[in-house]
Parts: sequence; structure tokens; C-alpha cells
Amino acid sequence: MEPVLTRRVGKPNSRAIDGYVADGGYAALRKVLGGWTPEQTTEEVKKSGLRGRGGAGFPTGVKWGFVPKDTKGKPVYLLCNADESEPGTFKDRLLMEDDPHQLIEGMVISSYALKCRTAYIYIRGEFYLGARVLEKAVEEAYAEGFLGENILGSGYSLDITVHRGAGAYICGEETGLIESLEGKRGQPRIKPPFPAVSGVFNAPTIVNNVETLCCVPHIINRGAEWFAKIGRNEKNTGPKLYCISGHVNRPGVYEAAMGLQLKDLIFGDAYARGMTGGKKIKAVIPGGASANMLTAPEIEDCPLDFDGVAAKGSMLGSAAIIVMNEDTCIVDAARNLSKFFSHESCGQCTPCREGTPWLYKVLDRIEEGEGRVEDVDLLARICNQMANGMTICVFSDAAIAPPLSSVTKFRDEYMHHVQKKTCLVGRKALVTA
Amino acid sequence: MSANPPKPPAAPAPPPAPAGPPKDTFTVVFDGQPIEVPKHLNLIEAAKLAGIDIPHFCFHPRLSVVGQCRMCLVEIEGVPKIQAACTTPLKDGLSVKTTTDKVKTGRAATMEFLLINHPLDCPICDQAGECTLQDNSFGYGNQLSQFDETKRQYPGFDRTLLGPHVIADMTRCIQCTRCIRFCHEIAGTSELTFLDRGGRTLVWTHDGKPLANDWSGCAADVCPVGALTTREFRFRKRVWYLNKTRSVCPGCNVGCNTSIETKEEIVYRFLPRLNPAVNDYWLCDHGRFLAESLNLRDVHKATIRTGTSVQDAHVPAAIERIAQEIRRTVEQTGPSGLFFLGSAHLSNEENFLLRKIADHLACPNRDVVVDKSRTRKIKSQKEWVEGDEAAPNFRGAKEMGLAPGRGGYGLDAVLSGKAAPECVLIADAGFGTAGDDADKVALLRRARFVATAARTANALTRAADVVLPAASLAEKEGTFTNVQDRVQKFERAFLPRPPVRAHWDLLLMLAIALGWGDRNWTPADLLKQIAAEVEGYGDVREEELEGGTLLKKGDFAWAGQP
Repeated sequence: MEPVLTRRVGKPNSRAIDGYVADGGYAALRKVLGGWTPEQTTEEVKKSGLRGRGGAGFPTGVKWGFVPKDTKGKPVYLLCNADESEPGTFKDRLLMEDDPHQLIEGMVISSYALKCRTAYIYIRGEFYLGARVLEKAVEEAYAEGFLGENILGSGYSLDITVHRGAGAYICGEETGLIESLEGKRGQPRIKPPFPAVSGVFNAPTIVNNVETLCCVPHIINRGAEWFAKIGRNEKNTGPKLYCISGHVNRPGVYEAAMGLQLKDLIFGDAYARGMTGGKKIKAVIPGGASANMLTAPEIEDCPLDFDGVAAKGSMLGSAAIIVMNEDTCIVDAARNLSKFFSHESCGQCTPCREGTPWLYKVLDRIEEGEGRVEDVDLLARICNQMANGMTICVFSDAAIAPPLSSVTKFRDEYMHHVQKKTCLVGRKALVTA
Repeated sequence: MSANPPKPPAAPAPPPAPAGPPKDTFTVVFDGQPIEVPKHLNLIEAAKLAGIDIPHFCFHPRLSVVGQCRMCLVEIEGVPKIQAACTTPLKDGLSVKTTTDKVKTGRAATMEFLLINHPLDCPICDQAGECTLQDNSFGYGNQLSQFDETKRQYPGFDRTLLGPHVIADMTRCIQCTRCIRFCHEIAGTSELTFLDRGGRTLVWTHDGKPLANDWSGCAADVCPVGALTTREFRFRKRVWYLNKTRSVCPGCNVGCNTSIETKEEIVYRFLPRLNPAVNDYWLCDHGRFLAESLNLRDVHKATIRTGTSVQDAHVPAAIERIAQEIRRTVEQTGPSGLFFLGSAHLSNEENFLLRKIADHLACPNRDVVVDKSRTRKIKSQKEWVEGDEAAPNFRGAKEMGLAPGRGGYGLDAVLSGKAAPECVLIADAGFGTAGDDADKVALLRRARFVATAARTANALTRAADVVLPAASLAEKEGTFTNVQDRVQKFERAFLPRPPVRAHWDLLLMLAIALGWGDRNWTPADLLKQIAAEVEGYGDVREEELEGGTLLKKGDFAWAGQP
């Protein structure tokens, strides 16, 4: 597949607006503002089958339709979630740093469809370069009349503000992000009400991922049918960026049609080109740290799309594929991820606040050779006590994925640790989350 | 007399369906039993109406719902995942299950998580006995835990004063945020906040500023565990030894409903009593920490001054002495030589008795005064109730008729020298700051005879001819009339130790010595007389008299319909 979202990545001066316009940029915006109605725009996105690229895979056009017809005088906000903080994920960063105008064009079109006057980009604090690039790009867009009052003489106006986060994983959760944007502590809100009804400043808000918004100009330019034809089936459409990391020869971001085989991504010449040193695969995390681990047999015939990975009992999530080879200590990998989650829990719900550090402490003990046989079942019990409605947001459901999936699928390795008090592979994991 | 609007006439029977008006209740099914509940309730409150207790920590009826303790888990029919009851909106036909295995497991899991880092040292925790964590652990937790790691500590944030009254111990905190929400939503001062995150989350003040709002004690009240306690009460008494007595705060004329908590004739603390019409769940620090002052006593016996010598006396003898002086004054100068001063600190019954004595003697010279204080306020649901008098019952005392009668004079005239009474009877030596002002007492002292009743000594007791030992608020019963014109009853926590007697008792003895009254009268009888004689007191409702519901620290009673 020819690259769509990343077609300009690597071009000289790909961040500048003149280069973007020269490559046909802002044509989609001219098209939409040249006579399309907002409803028509939403309908086109709906028809494309575009599903949210942030992790949950919710159909974007349907989400846009949730904004109440009568907003009771309140404004509608579009909020771009650029808080890319899922361990192993680095696709949005590429899009923002190398082709910021693609995102801005996508946001203007989406805002038009939502009848939104003010839009925000919430970018994670660590993305200093990305924030600078976006700020520059927004400035250029204002200067060229693609933002601000009366865009391209259409009478439509939009302001975009780039807002930097302060470094919290939970601010990637959409309601946590909204709280943080409002200047409060980054804690997820109780749902309902959902942001589409009551979000930023209690006004209807649509939160979309960077990659999702970047798809929008292409859908407008080439049509929903074109977009819907890309991908494995009609429910998993469009181009997709995959982030692959871990023990592979060529880690990085690769664009492919939705539904790329996981094995192709790991071994394909166009992609990661196999395992380092020709080692065997022990486990693969297919969708960022929050996704259940898959074992080597499970990655056979695993199309990387929302339904394909779900069928394997895991999730595509942010499409961050972390590959671990046979030399990886799975307990250490789980410990590493649990440390991350216990550090990042916001602390409002009891099971997550207390459970995540407990998991880490138990895993740490097992890895350090101080585990007991009953600890293996204890891990599973703690995990099961944290999930499925026990908390406000899905953070704790995410936090239990690494320990629970590993303790289920690699029980032997855990038992080895607690019985022999040594590590099965005799080394620490190379994965750092 | 009631501050509440009169009860509307009973609604006419609803017309037959389907043209009926929209109903103002929802039908909610709890464990198979349908019940009609008002629409504005939270699911936890609705369950309570159905007689079902849903355990919880972070929910409080007057604070915003945050749904974060995850204790109030229930199953909702049609929803696959377990749900927090407090965040589930009520609707018609909602079917709630509170006893399923899933619910039991979920609650036990939350209890286990809460206890893994909570110190299990209840015997040395001041909250023990009124701790929601203890109660819920007993009711819904498992006795055993597999937690075998080092418990979390908060060095530097344990057993530390947060402000003038509240001591914080973060090792005991369960992060329910009730105190944070109290300061933000009720007090409006927002001192407290969450610091850090995850398992290291703690509650503290912004930038180390003190928790010093006027209601800081309430932050400790709403704390369901021993994380916030008050310096004044901490480690003074195990709470299960305390007796609770319905009372009214003596701090100002707002008349917050309180519970006087006592053990063996010692007052240990005040807690608010829930009264949605007055103080709701709250009590200000000024009033709350008056509690210990009820234990002060300087005047243990009656005293009679002869010349420069002061001698202890038998109370009846001292009363007889006052009666003699009164009779002598009436004989020599007529009733205009007498002056009666009531007190805004005394009950309606006591002020009423004093006025009746004056009436009996046909003396028009009676008065009551009050000191102004800075405005004190308390949040009564959404509105503030404000008071600016330094005594609880100025309004009631006035309504009992303590104002100069026809041709009579008041305290101002006495102090300015315009009037020169021969015999002055001051029902309460602590009637105001004037009682401890040597200059003003000297002006009062120009009278030939001054008698008073007192608990603590001041300039007036040192100058008076007869001083009677009088009871504290905890040692007597009566009613106060607050700033909203609500007549509220306070009850006796314990009997005064003889020869100390309640003011009303002393006044009644004096009345009898003067030839009026009945020794068998009690404050309840006096209240009946007030109801019959004083305008506006005839229709005081029993609920208004009773006031609020007793509360436990950290818990809330069922508020009913606000």
C-alpha cells in the first residue's frame, strides 16, 4: 500500500505550510468549505468506517453524532488527544513532528463538521519538539487564513490552542484529559455523562486521537469509498500506523492497510525484518502495555485490526507491538509494566490505588527470588479484584493485563521463580516501558 | 413560631389514570421489592428508605458524588459489570441487587484493598468505635488478608497539626476526599487537596497553609476514619464510653443543634446533630470548642457577703436572704426600687420565671442585653444561616417579656446613673462582658443589694452580696429561640452536683419564697405556661423542639427529604 498518513514523512521541510500546500494540502478543507454542509461531512466520515485510532476503536462518525442537536447555547469543543503515553506507542509523535499541517487540516474539517468554534490540542508534556512544531504550524495556518476568523472566506471561524500536559499517563484517558485541560488534577470523571454531552467546561466535547484526525482530510479528498476499501473488512478500514518495538531488527513506525498480519509486521522485509539474532518469540504485546500478552502460537494468523486482535483475547489498542524474545524473563517484564502502572495510577479509586502497588510489590518479590508458591495465585486474585467495574475508568483493567495474561500464559515460568528462587532465563528483560 | 412554611393542604386524590399528573417518585426495585422513592435521592439514600444499608465511605448527602471509594458496589439488572451505587442515576424500574455473590465479592475486595495499607492498630486509634472502616470491615470484609508487604507510611504527614484544631494522620487516610469536598463545597475555602498520585496520594493543604476555616472541625467530622481528628478531643475519651445528649450550641444565636458528649459529669465534646433547617450536618469551630468550657466551675457554693466578709451559705438560706432584701426594698421604696436583669445565655423558661417574679412584684424594671459578636454562619443546605450575637437566646429572652415595662427602666439607665435601683437581681452573672467590667459592675454596685447566680467567677460575683451556684448548659434542660425564630429544646446530660442547681430551679425557689409558683414545676411545665401566655409560642411543633438527629463522627444519618 502506498503511504497515506506518512506520505510526507522524511521529505525535506515537511513541517512547513508551503511544502504541505504544494503537496496538495488544505485541498480537502477548500472542498469542505466550498459548499459541504457539516452534516454531509460527518456523513462522509461515517461512511468511511473510520474507527478511533487512540485505542478503543469507536467509530468516529458515530461519535460525532452524539453531540446533542440542541446544545442549549453551549459551545462544542473538539479536543485532539495528543497525550500519546501508552508504553510502546510513538505514532502520533511522528505525525505531529513531521506533518503537523495534516493534523491541523483534519482538525479544521472535523471542527466544521461539529460546528465547533474552539479546538484544543492536548499534547503530552514530554513532547517538547512536537509542541513547538505544532505551535509554529498553528501560527502559519492563522497567517495563511486556514485558521482564525472567516476561514478561506467561508464565514466559518475556528481557533486552535496547543496545550501541553504535565506528564501523566492518565491524562490520555479522555475525561482525565478534560480535567487536566481545565486546569484540575488529572483524574477521570464518572461516566455518564459522556464528553459528547458534557466535556470541557461542561460543554459538549469530542475527543479524537491525532491519527484519527489525520485520516479525515484523506477521506474528504479521496472519498469514503476509497477509505473503506482499504483494510481487511468493512469494519476495519483505512490505513493504520503500527509501532513495533522490542527484540526486532528494525523497530519503528510502519504504515499499512488495517489488518496487517502480525507475523508480517515482525518478519516482513518492509517492516521489522525479524527477530534480533534470529531468536525465537516468547511473547508479543499487540496493543501497548494495556493489552494482554500473546504467546508465540497465538500470533499465527493474527490480523492487526480491532476485531482480529480481539479475537485472540487481546486488543489492538494504540497498535503498539512490543516483541519479546525467548531470553526475556516474563516476570521481569510484568514487573516492569506493573511499576509503570503503579506509578501512573491517579489514586482516586481504591482498587487501583491500592492494587497496582500491591501487584508491583508481589512481582518484585517473585523476581527477586523471594516469592512463594501461593503468590502466583495471589497475583491472579488481586488482578481479578481490580477489573470489571471496580473502578471509575479502565486504567485498572489495563494495569492487570500484563500480570494477569502472563501469569495465565506463562504459569510455568512463575512457578519456576517461586519454587527454584531463580529466573528461568537467567537474565532481566530488555523491554523497558 | 415556626420558621417552616405552613403545611400545604393535603393534595386532592389523583384523577384516574391515564390523565394523572406526572409522579414525583420513581419505582425502584431493591432485591425484588419495589419501592417508591423521591426522584432527587441518591441510590444509597433510596436504598436506606427501603431498609437496605449500602456500605460506603466517600458518599455524603451534602457533598458531590465522586464514586471513588468503590465500596457501595451493587448489581444493576441489565448491566453486566458491577456498579457503584452512588454514581448510578435513579430511574423508573431500576432493579438493584445488593446481596448477590458478585456484590459480596466486590465489597470484600474493596475492603481488602483499603486495609492492606491501613494500620491495623485500632486500640491506639482515636476513631475506634465510630470508625466506618471498622464497621464495614466487620460487615462486609474478610477477616484474613494475604498482604505480606511493608505497609505504606507517610513520614512527615502523620500525627501533624493541619490547622488550629485538626490533626492529620495520613497513614490512616483512605483517600475518600470527603474533607477536601467539605472545604471546597461547603466552607468554600478549599484549603485541602490531593497531593501526589496513585498509592502515594495524600490529603494535605495547598502550599502548607493551615486548615483554618471557621468550620475546620467538620473536616474531622466527615472523615470516616482516624485520619483527621480534633486536637481538643483526640485521646481524651474512648467514644464508646460517651453518652450523647441532645442540646443546642450556646455559641451564638444561630442555635446549631448539637450533641453534648459526656461521661461521668465531664463534657468531652460537641458534635453537630443533623438538622437540615438549621445547621444541617455542620457546626462551627467557635461553638464546637466551647464544649470544654462547660466543665469550668468557680462557684461551688452559695455565698453571702456581710460587710467585707464573704461566707459560704446554704442555698435555701441564700435564697431567703435575697427574698428578704426584695421584700425590704418593696416596703421601703416600692417595686420601682427593684431591678431584674435576665440573660441571653439562659433558657426561655428561666427568663420567663424571672419576668413572672417581676410581674408578681409589679416591678417594671427588667431588661436583657446581649453582646454583639462577629458574624457567625453555618451552611444550612444551600443557604447560610447567620448570627451576630454572642449568646444563644437573646431573642427568646426578649420574647419572654424582659424589657422595661410601663414607667420602668433598663440596664442602660442603671449604668448611666439615670436610674438608681436599691436591689438588683441579675439572673446570670455571665450575662455579657459588662459582668466582668469592673467599672460597670461598680455602677451596678451602687445599689444597696446585688444578687446573682453564677458558674464561673467574674467581677460581678466578686462584688455581689449573694452569689448562687448555677448549673452549666449540660446540667439543665430548657429551650432557646434562635435567629430563625425556631424554639429548640436542649436536654440535660447529667445532674448538677449539689449544692449547684439549675438557674430555673434557683429562680423557682426564689419565686416561692416571694409567694408565687409551685415547687413541682419543671421546665416542661414552664414551657406549657409559656405556650399559653407568650404570643407565638402556642404552636411550636414537637419536631421543631426536638431538632436534629444524633450523628456519629464520620457517618451521616438518613436526611430524609430536605
